[in-house]
Amino acid sequence: MFNPVAETRDGTSTNMADREKRRSAGSGSCLAATVAEPGPATKGSDREFLSQAGVGELLRGALLKMVEARPDDPVGFLADHFGSLAAAVVESGSEDLKEPRLSDGSSGDEGARGARAQQRLNRALWHLRLAHHSQRSAFGNNVRVAYDLLSLTGPFGHAGDSSPAGAPGGGVSGALYTQTLRCLCGEGGVPASTSAPLLCRLHCHDHEAVPYGVFRHGVLTCAVFSDYIRQAQRLYAQVCQPDEGPASRAACLAVLGALREALETSRDADSPSVKALRRLEASAKMSPHQLARVMTEAQARGPAGHMDAKEFENAAAELFIARVKVVS
Amino acid sequence: MCTCHTFIFLCYYEYNCDREQSKMSADDVTKGVACTLKPPVFLHFGGGDSKTQGCCSGVCVIDVALPPGKTIETITFKNFYTALVSVRLQRRSPGQEGAAAKWCTALRDRPLMTNPHTEAGAQDYYSIDRKQMQVEPDGVSSIRLILKQPSSAWLTFSVQDVRIFPRMQPVRKGRIDELSDWLLLVFPPQDPLDVASVSCRLQQMWALSQVMQSSQSHAASVGRFDVDGCYDINLLSLT
Repeated sequence: MFNPVAETRDGTSTNMADREKRRSAGSGSCLAATVAEPGPATKGSDREFLSQAGVGELLRGALLKMVEARPDDPVGFLADHFGSLAAAVVESGSEDLKEPRLSDGSSGDEGARGARAQQRLNRALWHLRLAHHSQRSAFGNNVRVAYDLLSLTGPFGHAGDSSPAGAPGGGVSGALYTQTLRCLCGEGGVPASTSAPLLCRLHCHDHEAVPYGVFRHGVLTCAVFSDYIRQAQRLYAQVCQPDEGPASRAACLAVLGALREALETSRDADSPSVKALRRLEASAKMSPHQLARVMTEAQARGPAGHMDAKEFENAAAELFIARVKVVS
Repeated sequence: MCTCHTFIFLCYYEYNCDREQSKMSADDVTKGVACTLKPPVFLHFGGGDSKTQGCCSGVCVIDVALPPGKTIETITFKNFYTALVSVRLQRRSPGQEGAAAKWCTALRDRPLMTNPHTEAGAQDYYSIDRKQMQVEPDGVSSIRLILKQPSSAWLTFSVQDVRIFPRMQPVRKGRIDELSDWLLLVFPPQDPLDVASVSCRLQQMWALSQVMQSSQSHAASVGRFDVDGCYDINLLSLT
C-alpha cells in the first residue's frame, strides 16, 4: 500500500488523489497510512498535509490529556493514548464491516467478541487510572469516558447472544462493572480477601444494566478504599515500635477504637449545623491529646499480646466497609 | 559634610534640662524595655546670641536613657523624613563598675531614605539588630540617636515610636517545672510513639471514608424489585 511515487515536485494533485482512493478503501489502517506517507518537500504542502490529516487536533488532544494526567512516564502515556485511539478507530471500522452480518454463534465470533470486550475493559481502566479521585473534575470526566466505553454496543446490537454486551442505551453490564471494580481494587494494592466484602456490597448481577450513578459510586468507592487501605498499612507501620516486631494489641485496638468512635460520631445528619458539630466532635476524638490518653490507658489495662499487619488491615477495612451501603 | 556636622556637634551641642521630659515606659518584653526618651534636640549654627535664630544644620539628636546594664537585642522605630541615622552607645563594662561609662559608635550613618530629597523610605519602619552594630551592645546605660537630613525640602524630621528590645534571658525554672522534671524521672515515658502523626493519619482515613459516604448519598439505584433476594431461583422453586 505504501506507494513511494511522491518524488515529483509538482505532483501534489496526483498524490492527493492517491490518498483519497486509499482512504475510502481501507478501514482501520487509513489513519496510519495517511500520516506515514511522505509528502512533497515544499513548505506550503507540508502545512496542507498536516492540516488535512488532522494532526493538529490529535496532538492538541494528546497534550491536554497529558496535562490532566501528569504521568510519570510521558512516553508510555502517549504510546497508550495513541494506541487506544487507534484501537477505537479499528473497532468502529470493524463494526461497520460487521453490519450486514447477523450473528451466527460461531466460536470464532465469540472469541473475537470476548477479546474486544477485554480490550474495552483495558482501555476503560487506563482512563480511570489517569487522575486521582481527589481531582474531582478530572476524575469525573474520566469516569464518564470509561462508562461510555464500556457501554458501547454496535449499531444493531448482537442479536441472539447468550450474554449481551450491554442493554442498548441502558448502561454497563453487571459483569463488566464487577470486573472493573475488581481490577481497580487489585491495582490499588488491596488483596482480594480484603476487598471481597466491599465488592459484595457493591455487587450488581451480571444480567443487570448498571446506570451511570451506580457505576460512578462504585468506581469512586474502590479508588478511595485502596487509598484507605494504603493509609492503614502505613498506620500499622507507625504504631509498630521498629525494633519490637509486631505492634502491641492494646495500642492497635486503641487506635482503631478512636477511629471507630470518630466514624460513629460523624454519621449522617440532616441539618448542616448538626453535621458540622458532629465533625468537630469526631476530630476531637482523634486529636493527639485524646490519642495519647487512650493509648496510655490501653497500655496500662489493655489486652496483652500482639496484632499482626493482616489483622490490623482487616479490622480497618471492616470499619470502612460497614459504612458502605449495599447497592439496591 | 560629616566633619562639619561633627564640629558643630562638639561646639554647639546644648542640653536643655529645663524642658519637660516625655516618658515612654513599657512593661513587658514585647513592648520593649522601659526607657526614657528625651525630646529631640536640633542643632543650629550661626546663632551665637539669642537674638538671631541659627540656621538649622539638619542634624538632630535624641537621647534615650535606659536602666543601667541592659543588653540590647533590637532597636525599632518609625522614620519621619530622616535621611541617615547614627547610633552611639554609652557602655559600662560589667567588671568595671567604678569606671566612667564610655561612649562608642555602634552604627554610623545608616541610610534610611535612598534619596534625601524624595519620599522613598520617608515613613518606613526600621529595625537595627545587634548583629548590625559594630560594638556589642552589652551593659548599655544610654543610647544616642543622631539623625541627619541634609535636604532642605522637608520642614522637620525625626523618628517616632522608638522601642528598645532587650535580649531575652533564659527564664529561671519555676517550682512547677522542677516538679514536672522530677515526675518525668519517676515515671519515664513508656511510649515514644509519635502521636501527632498517628492522629494525622487517622484523620486522613476518616476523611477518605467521609468522601465515600458523601458520594453514596448521591448515587442512583440499580432499580431492583426483589426484596432480600426473593427472586433467587432456589427460593422461588420452594414456594
